[in-house]
Amino acid sequence: ALELAEELWDAGLPGDLPELEPECRSLLAAFAEGSAALTGCLSRRARPVRLCQGCHGHYHRLLAQYGSIARAVGNSSESHNCAKSILTSDRLQIVVTLLEFFNETWEAANCANCLKNNSEGLSNSTEEFLDLFNKSLTCFEHNLQGQAIDLSPNNYTEVCKNCNETYTKLNDLYNHLQRMNRQGGESAHSAHLCIDVEDAMNITRKLWSRTFNCSLPCSDTVPVIAVSSFILFLPIVFYLSSFLHSKQKKRILILPKRIQSNASLVNIQEKYS
Amino acid sequence: MANVAKKVSWSGRDRDDDEDGRAGETTPLLNGTGPGGAGSARQLTPSSFLRIGQLSNVDLNEDSHELETELPRQRPNEIPHNEKLLSLKYESLDYDNSENQLFLEEERRINHAAFRTVEIKRWVICAMIGILTGLVACFIDIVVENLAGLKYRVVKDNIDKFTAKGGLSFSLLLWATLNASVVMVGSVIVAFIEPVAAGSGIPQIKCYLNGVKIPHVVRLKTLVIKVCGVILSVVGGLAVGKEGPMIHSGSVIAAGISQGRSTSLKRDFKIFEYFRRDTEKRDFVSAGAAAGVSAAFGAPVGGVLFSLEEGASFWNQFLTWRIFFASMISTFTLNSVLSVYHGNAWDLSSPGLINFGRFDSEKMVYTIQEIPIFIFMGVVGGILGALFNALNYWLTMFRIRYIHRPCLQVVEAMLVAAVTATVGFVMIYCSRDCQPIQGSSVAYPLQLFCADGEYNSMATAFFNTPEKSVVNLFHDPPGSYNPMTLGMFTLMYFFLACWTYGLTVSAGVFIPSLLIGAAWGRLFGISLSYLTKGSIWADPGKYALMGAAAQLGGIVRMTLSLTVIMMEATGNVTYGFPIMLVLMTAKIVGDYFVEGLYDMHIQLQSVPFLHWEAPVTSHSLTAREVMSTPVTCLRRIERVGTVVDILSDTSSNHNGFPVVESNPDTTQVARLRGLILRSQLIVLLKHKVFVERANLNLVQRRLKLKDFRDAYPRFPPIQSIHVSQDERDCMIDLSEFMNPSPYTVPQEASLPRVFKLFRALGLRHLVVVDNRNEVVGMVTRKDLARYRLGKEGLEELSLAQT
Repeated sequence: ALELAEELWDAGLPGDLPELEPECRSLLAAFAEGSAALTGCLSRRARPVRLCQGCHGHYHRLLAQYGSIARAVGNSSESHNCAKSILTSDRLQIVVTLLEFFNETWEAANCANCLKNNSEGLSNSTEEFLDLFNKSLTCFEHNLQGQAIDLSPNNYTEVCKNCNETYTKLNDLYNHLQRMNRQGGESAHSAHLCIDVEDAMNITRKLWSRTFNCSLPCSDTVPVIAVSSFILFLPIVFYLSSFLHSKQKKRILILPKRIQSNASLVNIQEKYS
Repeated sequence: MANVAKKVSWSGRDRDDDEDGRAGETTPLLNGTGPGGAGSARQLTPSSFLRIGQLSNVDLNEDSHELETELPRQRPNEIPHNEKLLSLKYESLDYDNSENQLFLEEERRINHAAFRTVEIKRWVICAMIGILTGLVACFIDIVVENLAGLKYRVVKDNIDKFTAKGGLSFSLLLWATLNASVVMVGSVIVAFIEPVAAGSGIPQIKCYLNGVKIPHVVRLKTLVIKVCGVILSVVGGLAVGKEGPMIHSGSVIAAGISQGRSTSLKRDFKIFEYFRRDTEKRDFVSAGAAAGVSAAFGAPVGGVLFSLEEGASFWNQFLTWRIFFASMISTFTLNSVLSVYHGNAWDLSSPGLINFGRFDSEKMVYTIQEIPIFIFMGVVGGILGALFNALNYWLTMFRIRYIHRPCLQVVEAMLVAAVTATVGFVMIYCSRDCQPIQGSSVAYPLQLFCADGEYNSMATAFFNTPEKSVVNLFHDPPGSYNPMTLGMFTLMYFFLACWTYGLTVSAGVFIPSLLIGAAWGRLFGISLSYLTKGSIWADPGKYALMGAAAQLGGIVRMTLSLTVIMMEATGNVTYGFPIMLVLMTAKIVGDYFVEGLYDMHIQLQSVPFLHWEAPVTSHSLTAREVMSTPVTCLRRIERVGTVVDILSDTSSNHNGFPVVESNPDTTQVARLRGLILRSQLIVLLKHKVFVERANLNLVQRRLKLKDFRDAYPRFPPIQSIHVSQDERDCMIDLSEFMNPSPYTVPQEASLPRVFKLFRALGLRHLVVVDNRNEVVGMVTRKDLARYRLGKEGLEELSLAQT
C-alpha cells in the first residue's frame, strides 16, 4: 500500500503542492485497493451469481476504509481534514461516487438478506439453502452421468425420479424463506431475497422444468371445460327463463291534466315531421 | 263536462295507438290549430278554467270520477317500460325559499352576529364532510385490500395445490363459488334493504343536485348499504370499482352532517338546525360529492370541477371555495390515515384510492408527432364507449322489464360473479404467456402451467383487483404482456364490465372503463412500437394511459372534470393537453351515436331531469300548452275538511297549492295570493292551527319556522294525522304561512322562457296566471321535462306510474 501511495505521489501530484497529507494519502490508497478488489470480486462472481457469498468481506472492508477516510482528521490542523480534502474538494468527488455505486449494487442485490446481522458470514438459513442447492446439483450430475450412455437428451425421467425429493425440499425451503421475508419486511424492496439465493433457485428451476421437463402439471382440460361451460350456460338459462316466465313489468300511463295537449302535439309533429 | 270527457278519450287513445290512429286525428285538427284557429280555441276555455279554479275540489272529484267510468271502454293504459316515460315517483326539491311571515320574523330575530356564526358553521360542516368522507374511503380501501388479499391467497393456494395433483376444475368451482357467495351477500343487502344504493350512485346524485327528490338517496341506511355493498362487490371479483360509489357516499355524509341529526337512528343532535332546508342541504351535498371524488382519485380540483360539471346546477364562488376546502380536507385525511396504515406515517404522497403512479420517466414524454395518434385513440375510445353504452342500454331495458323482482336480481348478480370468475379462469388456463417472476412486483403470481419461477401474465390482469390491474398496465415495463393476452383481456373485460354495470350491486364504472382502455391502449402502444421498429417514444404505458382516458371519456362523457381528475391522478400536468384532446374527441365521437352512460340511466329510470336548456326548437310552445290544468286551489281561509280531503286524495298527489282570495262570492274572480306546500299544510294540521282555536283563546304557542324544520325532511303522511269531525268544520288561515310572492308566468310565455326561470331558480311550482292574476295552470318539473329533442325533432314523454 505504501508503494502505491508513493507511486501516486510521484505520478499524479507535483511535489510542491501540499494538497494531501501522508495519512490521507495512505487512506486513499487503501480505498483504491479495496475498491479494485471489490470490483474484481463482483465481476468474477457475476455469473452464476455469488456476490453476497464471496464479496461481503471485501465490501465491508471497503466500508470500513471509507469510514476511516470520513472520520480521519489530519494531525496538523483542523483545516487539513482528510474527509474534506478527499471527499468534497472537487466537483467529481470520485470516492463518493464509487462508494455510492457499491452501496447501490449491494442494496439492489439485497445481500443483507442472506448475511448475519453483524454481517459476519452467511446466515444459517442461507447456509442451509446453499447446502440443499449443492446437493440437488450433485444429484442432477450423478443421474445425468448415468443417462449420458443412453444418448437420449429428452428423456430425463431418471433425474426427475431420483432428484424429486431434493428439489421439492429446496423449492419448499425457498418458498418458506420468501414467506418469512415478506412477513418480516414491510416495504416492497425487501420482499426480495438476496440475489445469490434467488439466482440459485432460478437456475435450478430452469434446469428442472425447462431442461429436464420434470414438472409436468396434470392438465385436466376436460373437467375444466365441462365445469366452465356449465357455469357459462347458467346465465343463458336464467335470462331465457326470466324472459319467458317473468311477467313483464307494465307501466300504467297517467293522463296529464292539460288543455289541448292534442293540438300542441299535432303542432309539434307537423313542424318537425 | 263534455270538454273533459273529450279530452280524456282522446288522450287515452293517443297514448296507446300508434301512427295510424294518430294520423286519422291529425287531419281534422290541423285546421283547428292554425294561427287563427288556435286563438279562437283559446278564447273558449278560460271560462271553464275559472269555474274549475274556484270550485276546484268538486271539479276534480268529478273529473276523476269520469276518468274511472271512461277507462273500461278504452284499452288498458299499460305499456311496457320504455325510455320515453316520466315517473310519478320522483318529486322536486323545494329549492325556492318560502318567504312567509314566519321566515321574516325569524330573520328579524336573528341578529347580524348570528348570521356570522351560521357562516362559520358552514365551514365547520365542510371540514367534517371532508374528514368523514376521507375516513370512509380509508375504511373501504383497507377492508377491500385485506378481504381481497385473503380471497386471492386462498384461491392461489388451491390452484397451486391442484396444478400439481390434477383437478383444477375444483379450483374453478372454488373461485366461482367464493365470488358468487360474496356477491350474493352484497346483492341481497342492496336488493332487499336499499335498492337505491345500486350502481355507482352518480346518476342519483346528479338528479338530486338537479333538484329531483330521489327517495332514500341521502339516508344513513343508504350509506351503510353502499359502503358494505361496494366492499362486497369488489371482493367478489366483479368487474367494478370502488371509486364511483365514493361520490355517493360523500354526498350522503354531507347531507347527514349538515342536518345535525339522523332520522334513521332517530337521533337529533340539536345542531345545525338552520340548515334543515333543501337549499342548504343541496349546497352541502355538492361539497360531499366533490369530497368523494377527491378521496377516490386524490384529485381535489377534479372533485370541485366534477361537482360543477355533473352536479351543482346552482353555483357561486363562495360555494366553490367551500367545496374546494372540503375536497382538500378529504384528500388530506385519506392520505394521512393511509400513510399511518402503510407504516410510513405522515408521508402524504399517496393520495386517492387509486393512484396511477408517476409518469415522469424519460420515455414518458410526448412529442408533437404523437398528437394525431392520441386523437385517433380518442376516436376509438368514443366508438367503443358508444358501443358499451348501447349494449348496456339494451341490457338495462331488459332488466327493468323482466328482472324486477329482488330475488331474480340477486340470482343475476351471483351468475355474473360466477361467470366473471369462470371467464378469468379459462383465460388464465388457456394462456401460455409466461413471464419470469424475478424483478416483477406481482401480488399474486399464479404459476399454473408456466415453468417453475415464472408466472402467468394473464393472471396479473384477471387475478387481481381491477385497481391494481390498471396500475400494472400503466407501469409494467414493455414486454410484460403479450399482444394476444391483452387483446383477449380487452375483449372479455369489455363485455364483462358492460354486463356488470346495472346489476343490483353497488359498484362503479370508472375503474372497469379505465381498465378496458388501459388494456387496448397498451395493445395499441405495443403494435405501434412494433410498426416503428421499436422506437423509443412508443412506450406502451403512455398509450395505456391515453387509452384509459379515451375509454372512460367515451363511456361517461365527462370533459373538464375528467381531464383534471386524470391529470391529478397521474400527477403530471404536461399530460393535460393530450388527455384533454383525447377526451374531447371521445366525447364528440361518442355523442354522435348515443349519449353518456349516466344520462342514459337517468332517462331509463324515467327521472324528470332538467337539462341546461329547453329543447332548441320549442319556442312555439307556450306556457298554456305546457302547464297542467285545472289546478287545485285553496282559499286563503279554507275549511279544514276541504284541506284534508284534498291532501288525502290519492289520485292527485299534488304538493303545491296556489292560494286564492277567499271570497265567498263565487262569481268574482279568484286572484292568486300565494302558494302553500303540502308539507306546510301537514304541519299546520298537525299542530291544529285553526282560526276557531285561536278565537277561543286556547293557550297555544305560536307556530315558528322551527316547527316546519323539525318535520323536515320526512313529513308525516296525511293519513297519520287525525282530524275529528268537529275540527273538519273549522277554518284554517293560510295567509301567514303561504309564500306570498310565488313566481308566476303569463300564459303566453314560451317554453324556453318558462324553462329558464324554472331551471335557474330551482323552482318546484310555477303558477301560470292570466292578465287578471287568476290561476290558470301550474307548471311543474314533469311538465317541462317531458319535452325532449329526439331523433325526429321534439318529442313528448308520457307520465307513468312506476
